[in-house]
Amino acid sequence: MAKTPTKKMKNRSIIVMGLFSVAVCVIIGYLVYYQIINYDVYQSKAIAQQTMNTTINANRGTITDCNGVELAVSSSVKTVYISPNDIDDEAQARDIALNLSEILGVDYDTVYEKTQKNNYYEIVKRKIESDVVDQVRQYISESKVSGIHLIDDTKRYYPYNNLASHVLGFVGTDNVGLDGIELVYNSYLQGTNGKLITAKNNAGSELPVEYETYVPAKDGNDIKLTIDTTIQYYLEKHIEQAREDYKCLNGAAGIIIDVNTGGILGITSKPDYDLNNYQQITDSLLLQELELFESGGAQEQEEQDGGTNEDGEDSQEQDSSMTPSEKKTELTNLMRRNKLIVDTYEPGSTFKILTASMAVEENLISDSDSFYCPGYYVVGNRRISCWKHGGHGSQNFAQAIQNSCNPAFMMIGAKIGNTTFKSYFENFGLTEKTGVDLVGEASGIFHSDSSFNEVELATASFGQRFKITPIQMITAVAAVANGGSLITPHIVKEITSTDENGKTTVVKSIDSGVKRQVISKETSEKMCALLADVVTFGSGKNAYVKGYRVAGKTGTSEKLATESSTGEEEYIASFIGFAPADDPQIAILVMLDEPNGSEYFGGLTAAPTAGKILADVLPYLEITPQYTEEELETLDTSVPAVSGLSTDEAIAAIKDSGLSYKIIGGEGTVEYQIPKSATSIPRTGTVVLYTNGKEPSATITVPDITQMSVAGAQKMITNYGLNLRTVGNESTKSTALITSQEPAAGTVVEAGTVVTAYYKNYNDVAN
Amino acid sequence: MAQQNVGKLNEKPKVVRAKGGSIGRVDIPFLMLVLILVVFGLIMVASSSYVYGYYEYGDSYYYIKRQLIFAAVGIVVMFAMAFFDYHRLRKYAFPLLCISVVLLILVLIPGIGKTVGDARRWLDFGIRFQPSEIGKFAIIISFASYISANYKNMNKFKVGVLPLIIMLGTVVGLVAVETHLSGAIVIMAIGVIMMFVGGVQMRYFVGAIGIGSLGLAVIVLFTDYMQMRIKTWLDPFENISGSGYQLVQSLYAIGSGGLLGLGLGQSRQKHLYLPEAETDYIFSITAEELGFIGALFLILLFVMLVWRGFYIALNARDKFGSMLVVGIIARVGVQTILNIGVVTNALPSTGITLPFFSCGGTALLMLLFEMGVVLSVSRFSYIDKS
Repeated sequence: MAKTPTKKMKNRSIIVMGLFSVAVCVIIGYLVYYQIINYDVYQSKAIAQQTMNTTINANRGTITDCNGVELAVSSSVKTVYISPNDIDDEAQARDIALNLSEILGVDYDTVYEKTQKNNYYEIVKRKIESDVVDQVRQYISESKVSGIHLIDDTKRYYPYNNLASHVLGFVGTDNVGLDGIELVYNSYLQGTNGKLITAKNNAGSELPVEYETYVPAKDGNDIKLTIDTTIQYYLEKHIEQAREDYKCLNGAAGIIIDVNTGGILGITSKPDYDLNNYQQITDSLLLQELELFESGGAQEQEEQDGGTNEDGEDSQEQDSSMTPSEKKTELTNLMRRNKLIVDTYEPGSTFKILTASMAVEENLISDSDSFYCPGYYVVGNRRISCWKHGGHGSQNFAQAIQNSCNPAFMMIGAKIGNTTFKSYFENFGLTEKTGVDLVGEASGIFHSDSSFNEVELATASFGQRFKITPIQMITAVAAVANGGSLITPHIVKEITSTDENGKTTVVKSIDSGVKRQVISKETSEKMCALLADVVTFGSGKNAYVKGYRVAGKTGTSEKLATESSTGEEEYIASFIGFAPADDPQIAILVMLDEPNGSEYFGGLTAAPTAGKILADVLPYLEITPQYTEEELETLDTSVPAVSGLSTDEAIAAIKDSGLSYKIIGGEGTVEYQIPKSATSIPRTGTVVLYTNGKEPSATITVPDITQMSVAGAQKMITNYGLNLRTVGNESTKSTALITSQEPAAGTVVEAGTVVTAYYKNYNDVAN
Repeated sequence: MAQQNVGKLNEKPKVVRAKGGSIGRVDIPFLMLVLILVVFGLIMVASSSYVYGYYEYGDSYYYIKRQLIFAAVGIVVMFAMAFFDYHRLRKYAFPLLCISVVLLILVLIPGIGKTVGDARRWLDFGIRFQPSEIGKFAIIISFASYISANYKNMNKFKVGVLPLIIMLGTVVGLVAVETHLSGAIVIMAIGVIMMFVGGVQMRYFVGAIGIGSLGLAVIVLFTDYMQMRIKTWLDPFENISGSGYQLVQSLYAIGSGGLLGLGLGQSRQKHLYLPEAETDYIFSITAEELGFIGALFLILLFVMLVWRGFYIALNARDKFGSMLVVGIIARVGVQTILNIGVVTNALPSTGITLPFFSCGGTALLMLLFEMGVVLSVSRFSYIDKS
């Protein structure tokens, strides 16, 4: 009995159990607090650290031209990142740095530094293509290193590189548009990113799928532009050629718009840049300039170093001169500028289209009115010269336009009067932005009402001493061409969205957007006829296109020394026009900024460039050519097959095709013919027939026909046994000079080959 | 009740003698509770160590495989012990105490003792174990032996208090020197509880509480280490990535569990967020996976085990058995309360394992051996064992 537990032990055990119970109750209280009352606080904090939010990039919408040709597309790429904390040891870090730097073309030290960071996310290279991705994967699997990861990303790709670069713009590494359509329509193109929420462990790896939440990405809308890739190509080709031919120091630009809808079919501003490599200067002329600057800059540097000891002023000069990197920035800015939108210019004589339209609309001119030009005009106390020193003499309204006579237009301006002029100026949309959906549209500058006196009216009448943007100018001219409606120029035709099932719906469709009627239909028609004559007979004759009636006006405006890139007085040569004149479809503006070749007048530079562009574009648009009699004579025809026929039969066949003939060897059977049958030659061409054993000489060396008249060249080429094709204004052929030829002089060709001669008219086009 | 027991006492010895040294069945409710806890514990070890096993050893089953082996061996040991006459333990009491003191000194010698973290607390003689675990049991058995032998004189300081304080002081002191603070606290608590139940006069405890509080206050005030612990305890979120990290992760786990839990095996915090998820913080993972309901169930199992343990103790055949069980049960109870208290931030943090649950082979083996002792005592007691 004495051995068994006592009452006291029992009581004290109960006390111990009591204390235990109190402790247990406290603990349960804590559990209630954490698990029932406040569980959501801890749960949300726990989830925040346990989940990984992976963004699923929405596919950026595609940009296409009006025919669906893809101009900007997004493709799937990968971004490589490393988790430095997952890298096992130093040896592995070095191995990773060595291999990744080699595969990805990243500096070894850069990669190595990233491996030494204390985190789980260091991007090594963004947006790598599939072939490089494969190399990275292969390295990971072969070396069994840990810590290298690949994540999905998208890359913007522009299949045509430079084509329409200013229009399309580009995106940054985060796929947000930074310029052009990519910027303006970013909200449409971008789409909404989706996300994948996955659980992760504390080492950053994913946990099994049961914790996943998936929010799908909503892809961006597709954009269809009014641009036509083919037209854009023709435009860019000829503008770039003009920039080189006429040595345009400050670039060249061109735009073609649909006069009825305002849709921009083509727009370019040179120099431009490669959209796939938008940070680099790729333009060869700019690269030359940069190289020249750098070598010249180095020399200058040396000279200055030598001179510093002698006098201290040199250091100041050094401050004002540009460093190569500043020069590079300047050139980069230049290549990114769309001159037609962000620059303003004095339209010069091209503005006479609008002055004339005002006068016609206001009924201020009758056909019998005569404008006498002695070579100058006095307004107020100022004597303002005409571009033609001797003056144009007496001329009617149509001739005044063809001559682009400044005194005549000052007289017309005076008839219109300041108030009416200003009100039309506003109605043509020249004091407001056009609202074109391109980046950075500038505003023009015009005289205030108080400063707009009679002298300013006189100069404004021929387009000087005020500034507008080229896009404003072509919009106003489009109104003259299309029957008088001022339209909103635009580059986006349609925005569509495609759902998961591939069903496409139109989100937004942009049509003409007529702002207002500026002039009447009758005035428009009259102006079309007047301006067509400018190209057929007048100062715009070099813009002529065979088979089409082109209407338009040239201009050569002055640039002040303070505004030009050279620091001296320079010019902007331009041509603005539309076609066909009897039913205008498209308007074109060609602008050459600071041409520094031997020719700089708009009529000699911009007009022929516009002509070449239109010669490509009008047939492409399937506008049926309507040839004049003169033109029909020069059209090509197919040479008939006459070998083996008698000379009489052959002569009859050749006459049927409208060609001339020449027989060598007398009557008999035709043994050889030059050119061969089915060759396409101009109707002015000659087929040479060889009979009675005579044989043609196998080859002929092409003579130099440049600087010759067309008639002279025709004679010479025929004598050489070749055929001549002429390209230029048929109406003014007789006074033209050949400027270039194809093939070049000295080329050895087959007999009967067609030599193409491009001719230009130098008479009365110096404007 | 006392009368009833006496009646039973008169019956049972006959049975014992008839079976030759063995006197009856083990206490089935206690055995069942132990087995349930072992199985529950194994399940939680399997779940909580799954991720760490994979990341540390490349084998998700690394921990549970070892734990299973120890559990199996431990259960065999438990039953062997249950059928071993606990009275024969008495003669091992003081030798065991001496051995444990020697081991506790050995572990302090660099080169012999293994350091884990800041503490030098492991010995490795082919099998790795903590001498403090041996010390724990040595104190239990020595105290039980001493108190039962000197029960009548327990009210005397020289006999009832001083020798016990010397024994306890030596062991606790040595464990404390290892900087194994939690071990020292548990052994101290076991000793104090045994002395209390064993009849040491109340005034000594009042005095001890006074001196203890004072000592604790001094330690807290003058050691940066303790001050930091207290600071972390008061606001673990102040330094989430540093000293408060583990506790915050524990609270995230417990809170995430909510009422019903994320489901068995579904813990997210075990995915490398909560360190020591399979040992000291296994309760947090249990609370996360099984929720408040599961955590409460776990606590209730322990409450029932402790209650049944005391019941066995108070109905033991003799004071030695009674005190043995009190010591063993006190150890389970104290460790459970301290462990759960720490992981719920009810108490400042210290590394104490949760009996039956925390992964650790030798500790489980030792625990099951002790459970065997309790069962052995129960065989000699006079209670309804069904």
